[in-house]
Amino acid sequence: MSTAEYESTAEYEGDVTVLEEQFMEQKSVGPIELESQDVSVWFGQRKVLEGVNIAFPKNTVTALIGPSGCGKSTYIRTLNRLHELIPGAALAGSVLYEGKDIYDTDIDPVHIRLQIGMVFQKPNPFPSMTIRGNVLSGLKLSGLKRDQHDDIVEETLTSAGLWNEVKDRLDSAAGELSGGQQQRLVIARALAVQPHVLLMDEPCSALDPTSTLKIEETIRELSKDITIVIVTHNMQQAVRVSDYTAFFLAAENEPGYVIEQGPTTDIFGSPRDQRTLDYVNGRFG
Amino acid sequence: MAAPPTETRRDLDSAATSHRGDRIFNRGITVAAFTALLVLAGIAIFLGIAAVEAITTQGWSFLFTTEWKVDQGDEPVAGIWGMLYGSVLLSVIGLVIAVPVSLLLSVFIVFLAPRRLGRVMTNVIDLMAAIPSIILGLWAFYLLSPPAEQWQFLLNKYLGWIPIFQNDSGNFNGTPFIAGFVLAIMMIPIITSVSREVLGRTPPELINAAEALGCSLWTMLRHVALPYGRGGIVGGIMLGLGRALGETIAIFFVLKLVYDINWYKIIESEGGSVATLIVATFGEVSGPYELNLLLAAGFFLFVGTLAVNVIANLIVQKTGRSER
Amino acid sequence: MTQVLDREQIAEWSAQQPQRPWTKKPARLQAWIAVAALLPAALVALIFMYTEIPGPVLLVAIYFPLQLLAAGIAAVATKGRQGAADSVIIVLSVGATLFSFIILTSVLGSLIVRGLEALWGEDGFRSSFLFQNNVYINPSTPLEYGGLGHAVIGTLMIVLIASLIAVPIGIATAIYITEVRGRAVPYVRFFVQAMSGIPSIVAGLFILTVLIVSGAMNQSAFAGGLAYAILMLPTVARTAEEVLRLIPEDLRTGALALGSTRARVVLRVVIPAAKTGVITAIILGVARVIGETAPLLLTSLKSDQTILNPLADPIAALPTYIFDNVALPYPGAVTRAWGAALVLMILVLILFTLARILGRDRLNRFR
Repeated sequence: MSTAEYESTAEYEGDVTVLEEQFMEQKSVGPIELESQDVSVWFGQRKVLEGVNIAFPKNTVTALIGPSGCGKSTYIRTLNRLHELIPGAALAGSVLYEGKDIYDTDIDPVHIRLQIGMVFQKPNPFPSMTIRGNVLSGLKLSGLKRDQHDDIVEETLTSAGLWNEVKDRLDSAAGELSGGQQQRLVIARALAVQPHVLLMDEPCSALDPTSTLKIEETIRELSKDITIVIVTHNMQQAVRVSDYTAFFLAAENEPGYVIEQGPTTDIFGSPRDQRTLDYVNGRFG
Repeated sequence: MAAPPTETRRDLDSAATSHRGDRIFNRGITVAAFTALLVLAGIAIFLGIAAVEAITTQGWSFLFTTEWKVDQGDEPVAGIWGMLYGSVLLSVIGLVIAVPVSLLLSVFIVFLAPRRLGRVMTNVIDLMAAIPSIILGLWAFYLLSPPAEQWQFLLNKYLGWIPIFQNDSGNFNGTPFIAGFVLAIMMIPIITSVSREVLGRTPPELINAAEALGCSLWTMLRHVALPYGRGGIVGGIMLGLGRALGETIAIFFVLKLVYDINWYKIIESEGGSVATLIVATFGEVSGPYELNLLLAAGFFLFVGTLAVNVIANLIVQKTGRSER
Repeated sequence: MTQVLDREQIAEWSAQQPQRPWTKKPARLQAWIAVAALLPAALVALIFMYTEIPGPVLLVAIYFPLQLLAAGIAAVATKGRQGAADSVIIVLSVGATLFSFIILTSVLGSLIVRGLEALWGEDGFRSSFLFQNNVYINPSTPLEYGGLGHAVIGTLMIVLIASLIAVPIGIATAIYITEVRGRAVPYVRFFVQAMSGIPSIVAGLFILTVLIVSGAMNQSAFAGGLAYAILMLPTVARTAEEVLRLIPEDLRTGALALGSTRARVVLRVVIPAAKTGVITAIILGVARVIGETAPLLLTSLKSDQTILNPLADPIAALPTYIFDNVALPYPGAVTRAWGAALVLMILVLILFTLARILGRDRLNRFR
């Protein structure tokens, strides 16, 4: 059935009132580190996302799932102010980090990007730098000052699960590592600037299954100290790794919406929207 | 059991060219393709002969003398040392001006300018490259030289205590500075073109990674884009240098050719250039011996520019390949 | 329990306007920018009024560094040390851009202003300048008499001769590099690249020694054409190679599968497919050599007459015509030089634009 038809059923009406109660319950789930309120995104005149309201509680992992092209990657780029670097980008709504709107005029985007880090789909270590140089590159690029570089290198590589494999060759070129190792190096690089939030845009989709599992392990470990938001196409991964899930969907010629969101076990076990049910059962996407 | 029949190997390549038309075609193409080698070898040989003659007659003083006395019967003493040094000095001055300007231009086009302005700038640069050197020479003589003389005068007046800004003759025309400036104008389009292409090919994922780590324009350039493009940029600079070393006409009217070496006084009215020497002396050549000297000078010019060009191309190719 | 999309909010959301909050600059930054822009200008104006330093010098030597400093300070005050480096780069690169614009404008502007003096007299367009030659003209003759017709013809002849030699060989070389499978191919590419670095004067010297000094030939248009051909060949070969590479392999294999010989594939299929590209290669080659003076000074010399025989006598050409008239102390002669320079530049611009247009067409065909 179509969107409009579904929304005119009694079932849907009933759910909405229950929803409001539970929404209030949800809110008391723990301090919210980062949240977007009514965020809509445009490229030029084309609206690609509408009304995204998601709250990311501290030290949890939230998965963003949904078919390709419905705006998930665009969305996370609004969370660390990378979106504005694309020509023609515009948005509405606000993104609150630690209670303050990151788009206020007196906020420095560099500061935000240091607090909210990002890992991309294709591992992108800097080929002209050594492993050590890569880990510390965030400090050079942003001008952030930290002491004890050797300790930083060891700590971050350990947190990223790469230390044992590279501790004897920190001065070799980053390009010689395998894909999975490069991605873990990239994670260490992101950790070196001490972010509170880590955004991950399909970090495992270019990797083999073994590396994927290693990185998922890393994610679970990291979430004890860092809030993580991960975009993924792999639903088993979302189940394995995340505490909360948000399901995005965009109909043709329409902007993307968050259709349903909540604890991962509920989204996958007892979704309330038919479209969510269909997606998590693999009927499309 | 019978022995297996011996097989004759049928070479597929030769089968493909067995057609007579193809053979003629292939032969013709191959001959044509080696014209380049033929010309290069020809130049090396013919000019080399002249060089050998000059050196056997005069010894290595040909390269290291700053005198030019060709009408002394059996004992001519003529050397291009001043010209060799002068060519290098002019190129250095040109590079000092051209390299920063070119890099800034390419950074502007690739990273700062809105797309349309970037395209306009690229066309402006290409147009600058297309200006024939005689026109630049004409412009330099009538439009660049007068204000440049004034500037150099002021430079000498206020900063004349710095050795390179000394001037003893009171003349500020025909200086290495002006000639170097003109060479810079010729080099800027070449270097900018190559740098622009190389910087434009910086992989976007690296730039994204830098942006996500909170980079500024300068840190991104310093740690990501410039290291990535380093090889290509150096290659481009050397290509520009090769062009400048061989340039004759653009600086012909704005360089006062003097046989003595002008070591460092760049706003003094004396300078040298091997290429310009050849053109300047050709018209009044006193005899076959002097002509031969010019050919010998041409040989060394050829060798120098060839070396620079070959190295430049190797660098550009090598770095291009390693980025795949 | 999960939250589901509340469709009632869509009405609210559709009222949202796209915004760009990152473009708003806080008041403090705006104040600094104003100060950084105005203060150096004011200072420079003061210096200009009270000292004798001439304007352009002032602009470059004092205003520019001051502006740089001001921008740097403003950036440090608002964004910290990173901002300073960025603002320095921005100011410098804008400066470099202005610099190149100024140079180009100066060159083209002077060509137009001074060149038109020769081409435009009191009665309008002075066609005599374009069509007459310089016989009976000496440097002090007024501009109504004489012209560069002979030089134009000379240039055309020399370029034609050069093309007749360089184009077939250049295209053949490009074909060799792209079509023939041989171990020599990388060497040929190397030689062509090395050849492109030959200084124009060396090309002239070469033809001079081999053909003229040895007595095989006079200084003539033909000799000049040969020297030009040496300079033209690498450009034609390299551009043609690039263009031939763009032709999809399927075209060739398709033709071979139909039973064609290698030669016919190249001549009848590949080259016609690359037609515009090949023409572009030729145009670029011509544009590369048409203004070269040094080789002609050695090989075709100069003349005042209109010469039509390419083999016998020295001949005039636009670049050498300019060269001869540049430094003469007669204003009439200098004006002739500018006029010739204008004509030459117009020719170069025509070739340049043609190559651009063709180049764009070529890219479009493969979309």
